[in-house]
Order: sequence, then C-alpha cells, then structure tokens
Amino acid sequence: MFDADPGEELALVVETARKFALEALQPHLREAEAARGVEGSVHEDYHAIGLAGLELPEAHGGAGLSSVARALVNEELGAADAGAALALDPLGPALHPALEMGLALEPLAAHGARPGSRVVLATDLDGQVSVGGDRVTAELPYVPADRADAVVVLAGDTCACVIEGIAIEPLRGAGLRAAGGGRLRADGPAVATVCDPAGAARARARIRLYVASLLLGVLRATCAFSRDYAQQREAFGRPIAHHQALAFLITDMKMAVDGARLLVHEAAWRLEAGLPAEAAAASALAQCVEASRTVGPDGVQILGGHGFMADYPVEKHMREARALGLLFGGFDAAVEEAGRRVCGNDAPLGLVESALS
Amino acid sequence: MDFSVDDAARERIEALRAFGREHVRPAGLEADREGRPIPVGHAYFDAAMQHGYGRTRWGREDADAGASNTRMALLLAEEFAYWDRGVMIANPGPSLPEQSVIGMGTDEQKERYLGPFVAPDRPRWACFAMTEPGAGSDAAAIQTRARKDGDGWILNGAKCFIGSASRSDWILVQATLDPTKGRAAQRAFFVEQGTPGLGPFKTEKKMGLKAYESASFSLTDVRVPAANLLGGEARYERKAGFKAAMQTFNAGRPVIAANAVGIGRAALDEAIRFAREHDLLGRDRVRDRIEAMARKVRMARLVCLRAGQLADLRRANIQEASMSKALAATVALESASLGLELLGAAGARGDALIEKLYRDAKAMDIVEGTGQIQRMIIARQLVGLPRN
Repeated sequence: MFDADPGEELALVVETARKFALEALQPHLREAEAARGVEGSVHEDYHAIGLAGLELPEAHGGAGLSSVARALVNEELGAADAGAALALDPLGPALHPALEMGLALEPLAAHGARPGSRVVLATDLDGQVSVGGDRVTAELPYVPADRADAVVVLAGDTCACVIEGIAIEPLRGAGLRAAGGGRLRADGPAVATVCDPAGAARARARIRLYVASLLLGVLRATCAFSRDYAQQREAFGRPIAHHQALAFLITDMKMAVDGARLLVHEAAWRLEAGLPAEAAAASALAQCVEASRTVGPDGVQILGGHGFMADYPVEKHMREARALGLLFGGFDAAVEEAGRRVCGNDAPLGLVESALS
Repeated sequence: MDFSVDDAARERIEALRAFGREHVRPAGLEADREGRPIPVGHAYFDAAMQHGYGRTRWGREDADAGASNTRMALLLAEEFAYWDRGVMIANPGPSLPEQSVIGMGTDEQKERYLGPFVAPDRPRWACFAMTEPGAGSDAAAIQTRARKDGDGWILNGAKCFIGSASRSDWILVQATLDPTKGRAAQRAFFVEQGTPGLGPFKTEKKMGLKAYESASFSLTDVRVPAANLLGGEARYERKAGFKAAMQTFNAGRPVIAANAVGIGRAALDEAIRFAREHDLLGRDRVRDRIEAMARKVRMARLVCLRAGQLADLRRANIQEASMSKALAATVALESASLGLELLGAAGARGDALIEKLYRDAKAMDIVEGTGQIQRMIIARQLVGLPRN
C-alpha cells in the first residue's frame, strides 16, 4: 500500500548524500561556478563514499542501487549545487541507455571508477544525432560539460558509444557552470551499437528522472532559502513572511515542490518495480519544469533586490532550474511523450485502470 | 517506498466502481437534471443500504481506530466522487458527526444516537451543523447561543448549508456559551428532529452537487436536556468544545481532497472519451491538455495519499492535509475546465457530464476550509504566520 517513506537503508544513503552536499558542495558553490568544476579532492570524496556509480551494477564496481536511490540522492546534491552534481557523476545520465539497452558496460564502468572522468549523453531530443552503420555523429548546441571522455548517443531506439572524434567548444552557459558547458560535436566510430525500442523508452524515462530529481533539489533549495530569508527580513514592522501575500507565495512554492516530488518518486518506484514508467517519468519531469517556472523566479522575488544579486544563491537557483529544464528535450518532449502514452489507443481510458496498476 | 494499491483496496474499489456505474452516476445525473436533492424514499437509497452504506462503525472492531486506514478511505472517497460526489454526501448514515460521537460521546449518547445506525431498518441520516451565515471557515466565530436553563439548555441561532439537515434524525449543533470567548466557549448539542423551535428548513438552490440537500435553518428557543451535551459537562474544559469540531475538520480535509481528485479524474476520462469519439487525440492541443490533466490529477492523488499515510502513522499531517485540500480542489476545477475546452461550444450546451463536473468541482475549494484558509494553516506551520 502507498508508502512514500524511503525505508531505513535508503534513508542512510540519503543522509550520506546530504552530509556530503552540505559540507563539500554548498559552501563552495560560487567557487565551483567560477572555476567551471569542482576540486579534485571533492571528486575523490564523492567516489570514496560510493556516490559514483550509484546505479552501476555491483559486478561492474557500482553500488547497484535503484532509480529511487538515484532520485533521492540527486535531490540532495541538486539542493546544494546541481552543476557540481553533474560534474561529479562520471557517467551521469549517460549510464541509462547502456543499462537499459544492454550496451557493453565495461568501457563505461572504467570511466565510472575514475574520479574526474566525464561521459556525456547526447540524445536526438537535443540536437542532430545519428547512428549510421558503425559511425556516430552528434551536434548539440549545449551540453553541461567542458570535455568528454566518451559520448553515449541515444537516437530513437538506438544507442551507441563513441570515444574518438569528440570536441566540445566551451560556452559560458546560462547555469550549471560548475559542470562546465559547451557545444558538442562528435563524429567517430561507434564502439558499440544497440537497437532496443523498449529499452530506449525506459532509458529516456531514467534520463528524465535524473534531470527531474536534480531540478527538484534546486527548487527545494530555493524554497528553503527564500522562506528562511522571509522570516528574518522585516518590512513595515514585521517579518516579510508574515505579510499574507508573501506567506501565500511561500506556501504555493512549497506545495509545487512537494507535489512534484511525489510524481518523481512514483516514477522512480515504477522503474524499480519494473512497471511501465515512461509516462510517469515524463510527467514528473514536466511537473518539475512547470514548477520551476514559478518557484525559481519567486525565490528571487522574495529577496527583492538582494535576490537579483549574486550574493545570494537564489539567482543561481533560478538560472540553473531553467537550464536543467531544457536538457534532453525538456518540457515539450516530456509532455509529448506523456501525452502520447496517456492518449494512446492501447492506453486504458484515463486513469481509472492505470491508477491501480 | 511503495506506490501500489494492495489487493484489499483494489477489491473494494472494484466493488464500489460497479456500484458507482450502476447506481451513483445515474442518481447524480438525475438530481442535477431535476435540480433537487435525491428525495427520501428514492430507490437509490435502498441500493445504497444494500451495498452497506448507512451504517455506523461504532461497535465494530475498527470503531476506535479513527484514521487507522486513511489511505483506503481516501481511495474509496476518490472512487465514489468519481461517479458523483453529491450522491456520496447524500448517502444515509451518521456521516460527519460520527467520529465526534465515537470519540467524545458518553456511552449513553453512543447508544442513543449511533445505535439506530447499527442495523438501520430504513435509510437514516444525521448531520453536523457548524456553518452559519456569518461564520464559515472561521469556525471560532459562530454566534448560535447555548444558555443553561435548569437541567437543560436553550439554543438560539441560525445554521446554513448543512448537508441532509431536514432529513436527519438528529443534528449535532455547535453553539457557544459566549461569542466573545471564542473557541473555549463552544459546545456541541444533539438536537433531535421535531424538537420545538428547530426549523423551518430551507433547501438551498445550488450551482452543483445537487444530489444532496444543503439546508439552512434556525434554532428558536430550542430546549434540549443536559444529556444532549456531547460528552457531558465533564468533557468541556478549556478548548475541548472547539477541538471536537476541529478534529472533524482535520479528519475531513484529505477526504475532501480525495473527492476532488475523483472529480478531476472523471473529467479527465470524459475528456479522453470525447476526444477519442471525435477523433481528436491526434491533435497536439488536445493531447497537451489531456496530459496536463492526467499529470495534475495524479499529483493531487499522491499528495492526498501522503497526507493519509502520515495520518495512518499517527504523524503530524497538518501541512500535508491542508496541501492536499488546497491542491486537489484547484486541480479538479482545472481538469474540468480543460476538459470543457476540448468540447468547445458543445461544452456550453449544459448537457455534458463534464460541464456538471465543472460546476461540482468549484465547491471543493470552498467546503471544509477554502483554499485561502488552507494556505493560512500551511503558512502558520511554514513561516509562523500569526493568527491575528
């Protein structure tokens, strides 16, 4: 029966991630943003506590944890610094096509075991991507990385890995600068190619959850920071949070985030349980993005002029939430996929039946 | 973490679904068409009794459990409202005051007032009367007066929008000993139908949810014996009187939210059915609307269930309960509104189920505390918003 609590084992994983995020990432978010990366020692710590390769099977040196664990950990990391979270995860969402479609994991696992390594995911939702014969080409206007040791390409129902012919032209980036950022061009031989429609669909679901859970973390941080500020900042003789207009705004922000979180967790649970999850994951991302359109700017609004300045993190939250929501097809592709599945001829009428599955 | 519905719940939902399809939806549509509550003696109530409605849980093993299986109750509340929320409220039984009587009533009061609902010989109703013309969400502001008179009490005042009041065997009336003393001075009294000074009852004309009777009435020198004071004198110390009412409200918020989810879901299914029948599912604008409806209804359901889970675990759920109510009510209305857009001008004809759902849904943001009241409650928790 419905139970939204993570359980003791996962709670420990979450606590570990939270402690790391608060101690190693949050205090240095501006330095990481300026440096377009995190320090080597932080990479080492990230690996040492087992967050690298969280979902990588144990046989390949990973922790072998589930989509639920990924969602929970990403929220913690995203709440501290979403860009750093991307920089630290050697495989990132590039792992998911490999996991779900049976791409050889050995080469990726080797990168996953190396602190500072980066494998980038390129999908046809973001730009021109093709897998033809044994050759891979990709041209994306932006990826959250300055460099890539390998690129996993997901084009339709096919995925492939390429390690040669990769070039990333650095860009300033709207947000997520701690991850780096640049224009990706890849043109090289495919190390491996797999075509698997069902696996590709599940891979897209896991990719969307990866982004959604990071985004959730950013939004949570916005809510928490702006709420705390509003309780301390006074105007007209009382904390601004005690003016009903702002109190209701803060309430609506919290509702938006808490609601979106449950969609993310449900989709993650469905993936873990082996249930159809494509529509759920797409909806979860869509809801997170929709929430970000108001929560991000509202966080800045609550701080007023201070919110607009780089002295406080809410302007970074606003930029990063928007940038995250544009990755891997963002809102439009997610809504398209969810809508197609909800309305599909083979789908049950509305939610009556699907609600119970 | 588990988002499944267990077999026991699934079985009960399936049974309710069959009942809803056969009896609830037709009764709701009939009431809406005729613009009046389902009359006493209507065949629907016999069907409801046969299906197990109209009985008290007092005396059963789960009588004191209260919210022990809130999640199950929420799923059933959603399913019933899917077929017709107005009919759900019209159902016979001790309804809203039941939990207060079980929780606070004396043994004699439970026997006297809930006893007839153990194995009722006919559909019977009871109701709770809090709302007044000048006091809705601000329950502490009620003006109906209770004055001690020898070995009894005299009640004077007016109540409004009370569900099933004119057909109830008894009404649990919330009154105050002194309106200037707020919550601490409130008491609840059993007023039996036919008591001199009770009434007349005016059945209100409503925009939606027409299947159940919303009645307004006055109490003019209504004399009740001391034994009719809920819980007896000993129970009423400090704020206990008001707490009795607020306990009812607190238990009600996620249920109302689940009702709203059911309405939103019905609108979604109707929208999909219409779009499918008219070959509209290939259009982006249609799919986008349906996706948004499905997403938000699903989210609202999860928020409700989360509030229910916390209740089942006896963990604080003030924020979550209010969030579920505020969110689900909005989602229900939005879902029906988006669904109407799919129908286009056909939605304005006034004969489509989804148009009825649009009217029904609005009430969900009003009853048991408006969305604004819910936000005040949440804000008190989140940022310490002062009460005054």
